[in-house]
Amino acid sequence: MKILCDRTQLQEAFAIVSSVVPSKTTKPILQNVLLTANENGITLFATDLEMAVKVQLEAVKVTKEGKVLLPARECAALLRELSDPTVTLDSTDMRCRIESGGGSFVLLGENPADFPEEAKIKPGRGMKMPAGRLLQMIKETAFAAAREETRYAINGVMMDFGGSCLRMVATDGRRLSISYYNLDGGKGEFKALVPVRALATLARAIPDSSKEELTISVGDKQIEFAFGKAHLLSQQLESRFPDYEGVVPKAADTTVEINRSMLESSLRKAAILCSDDLRMVRFEVQESALRLTAESNSRGRADVSMDITKKGAGGSINFNPDYILEALRVCNLDSVRLDMSDDSMPAKFTLGESFTYIVMPISGT
Amino acid sequence: MVIRRLSPEVVNQIAAGEVIERPYSIVKELIENSLDAGGRRLRVEILKGGAELVRIGDDGEGFAPEDLLLAFASHATSKLSLLADLDHIASLGFRGEALASIGSVARCSIKSRQPGSGEGHEIRCEGGVVSEVMPCGCPPGTQIEVRELFFNTPARRRFLKSSGAEKAKIQELLYELSLARLDVDFTFLADGVEVLRLGAGQSLAERFAQCFGRDLAKGLLPVAKSFGDLHIAGLIGEPDLARRDGRQELLYVNGRQASERSAVMSIRQAYREFLMGGRFPIYALQIVLPPSEVDVNVHPRKKEVRFLDSRRVAGSLYETVRSGLQTSGAMSAPLGVQITDDMPRARSGFPALPPSLFATPLADSAPPPVLVRELSAPSFGEGARPFATSVNAKASVLPARPNPFRSTGSRFLQVHDLYVLLQVDDGLLIVDQHALHERVIYERLCREHQARKVTVQHLLLPAVVLLSPAEKAWVLDVKESLASAGMLVDDFGEGSVAVHAVPAVFKNAAPQKLLRALLPMDGESDAALRLEEQVVERFHSMSCRSAVMSGDRLNDEEMAALLTEAATLLHPHNCPHGRPTVLTFTSAELERYFRRRC
Repeated sequence: MKILCDRTQLQEAFAIVSSVVPSKTTKPILQNVLLTANENGITLFATDLEMAVKVQLEAVKVTKEGKVLLPARECAALLRELSDPTVTLDSTDMRCRIESGGGSFVLLGENPADFPEEAKIKPGRGMKMPAGRLLQMIKETAFAAAREETRYAINGVMMDFGGSCLRMVATDGRRLSISYYNLDGGKGEFKALVPVRALATLARAIPDSSKEELTISVGDKQIEFAFGKAHLLSQQLESRFPDYEGVVPKAADTTVEINRSMLESSLRKAAILCSDDLRMVRFEVQESALRLTAESNSRGRADVSMDITKKGAGGSINFNPDYILEALRVCNLDSVRLDMSDDSMPAKFTLGESFTYIVMPISGT
Repeated sequence: MVIRRLSPEVVNQIAAGEVIERPYSIVKELIENSLDAGGRRLRVEILKGGAELVRIGDDGEGFAPEDLLLAFASHATSKLSLLADLDHIASLGFRGEALASIGSVARCSIKSRQPGSGEGHEIRCEGGVVSEVMPCGCPPGTQIEVRELFFNTPARRRFLKSSGAEKAKIQELLYELSLARLDVDFTFLADGVEVLRLGAGQSLAERFAQCFGRDLAKGLLPVAKSFGDLHIAGLIGEPDLARRDGRQELLYVNGRQASERSAVMSIRQAYREFLMGGRFPIYALQIVLPPSEVDVNVHPRKKEVRFLDSRRVAGSLYETVRSGLQTSGAMSAPLGVQITDDMPRARSGFPALPPSLFATPLADSAPPPVLVRELSAPSFGEGARPFATSVNAKASVLPARPNPFRSTGSRFLQVHDLYVLLQVDDGLLIVDQHALHERVIYERLCREHQARKVTVQHLLLPAVVLLSPAEKAWVLDVKESLASAGMLVDDFGEGSVAVHAVPAVFKNAAPQKLLRALLPMDGESDAALRLEEQVVERFHSMSCRSAVMSGDRLNDEEMAALLTEAATLLHPHNCPHGRPTVLTFTSAELERYFRRRC
């Protein structure tokens, strides 16, 4: 195999692909990236057996077709350090010579035939949407997923498509985040539980507010996101996702409209005076103000108020401030809505036209 | 197939297998008999580890000649007659099995003379064949000889250990039994040599020292606490003395050495933050409670008992040991075992409840007792012993180990970026900065935690936990207790419960794991206490993470601040994982080392 290509483009593609390369593995061959050159250009492919990323590159001059395995870490570092605009890769057997500017480097790889093959998804179920919109939905949900996978909590986001609407849902059992996207005249349906890590990798590859179209294809065990020249394929999680619609409160005793940036900054101030081991801020809804208080025996007390508009009875409720702050960070509205009842019932934050967030309060016994 | 009724001899030999395993079990059974008979001076003699001869003599009430005839009969006892008596057994033995069992596997003789009577009588039993009762000369009391153990069951004889091992086992048994009866004089001879002589009237500490060594006894703290009709007293060892096995966890219930799982576990829990993993505390603790609250008839060799209200016993033990480990000395003065209630009496003529036991003076000598309480103990027939409780002034405020940082001066030096050398009034301290700081942070977190109300984080989705029927029954049983500590659980049908809320300090912990962590407690111990332990466990790791590390250089102000705060610690001697925080060299030790003083 022999190719000549643009160094910057190769480096960017390599960075995307090598983000799935496992840093620790008992199967060392996975620490390589597979480069395939044919008449259409080259593709880079890497996998950790749970997910796989493939990127195509066309601005390449292929003088000899073929395949080579490149050690991911060394190759990525090398591409970063080289300064010449072009780079030549020339491989024979399992060694690859990289030439750029005055430098010449030989990387020892492994046999490309031993590298895991790309899984194919049989076409059928799926949908299309703007990539930037999916990025927004990932941001609105992934933070609420559990940090690790247990029988109770799921480190994944549910993608539930049906009735012209895609719903993405994540929960760790204490709070739950739902983001919606309505399609004009979409059809078909699927449910897939996607690992947070796969979505995070995908999110890194999508530029903010990209209008480019992204295709989602769903197989029995896998899900594939195709976007531009990049493909990400991931295993679906097999856990049972809870019935999320059942936990969204239908009615509330009190409804409050709050300025988002005010709430965020006040809450951040109040949270400073929570104790390390017990994170709790009290939300007290008064006639036209929301009062936030926090207290720690060893640090002191915080008391912040802000103007609100209120409907209903008023009252007070305690939250872990970190749960609320994480959600406010991805909210773009000027004003958010809080629907709450008593201190053992779920409270609902409306953080966007299509972004709902449910949090369980903390109470004394 | 023909089903035959076994002959009484065979039945006895089979039964003997359960009670009599080796010479040790004979000694145990016979000592218990002697104590039940009111013996005050006990003499135990063995030859060849007891396989050749076990002879036990006492000065107790003795047998009447007509009773001697029944001595070797199975299920014949003087200690019990009605079914109802089983509910309040106050004697050590009660089943009437021991002598019959011994008689069926050895050559035995009993010589006995009642104190008032002019002559004694003798009966023999060889391999279950009982002789007639013959008059003989003997001192008052009862002498029992057991020769050639297992002479008629050679197979079992082969299973006996070496005579040295058997002797050691018997000696250990005497140590353990004697701690429960400070009013009895014990003598032990092996192969004609006097091995042990424990005088009556020793204090618990003295006897412990004689049995287990002076060095060990030095590190013991006396404790005593009463909880209504439940009394706990004895000695607990300082955490430093902890062993790698649980062999010096000595628990006595109404004068009987017996173990009960939740009781033992609660004592270990009380010690937990002072001990490194895999270490067991040393203690000798006596629980006194009305006999109707204990079931002693649960184990063939009476090694275990059961409590009617095991949670109460476990909780009381925990509190007693915890406050005993308090170094501040500020705790309320322990007044020894105060037994004022009217315990159910055993039938008249029975030597009833255990004697004053651990309630004899807690500390040796010095100032005269400030409080001597002769409690209106029930009269236990002849040989009744009042439950005297006396504690002298010294013991009323625990001496324990004072906080060494209270007397620190201002001279200190950090070495190796890890240890702080510190001059104190009476010597030199070497402090592990990480361990001490960990303890400081840990106690700060605990104080803050205790000062606030219990808060619960409700769960959006109840966590369903699959449980065995026993586990589930236990969880539902302790539901209220869990709720008071911040965990809300409910029945979720068919072998499962649902957790609806967890204590808010567990930010992201999986509720299932949390509930499961409470489970292995045999279903008996205090659930809220276990949940608290899980909280405290979190504090362990939080304090470890935020403490200064080995390699952090401290300036003088930082060291001064650490040492000032250390002076306020409740338990300054160990980090929360049980590692020591400080090494002490007293001036006297330093002088000795440099030969300034001999």
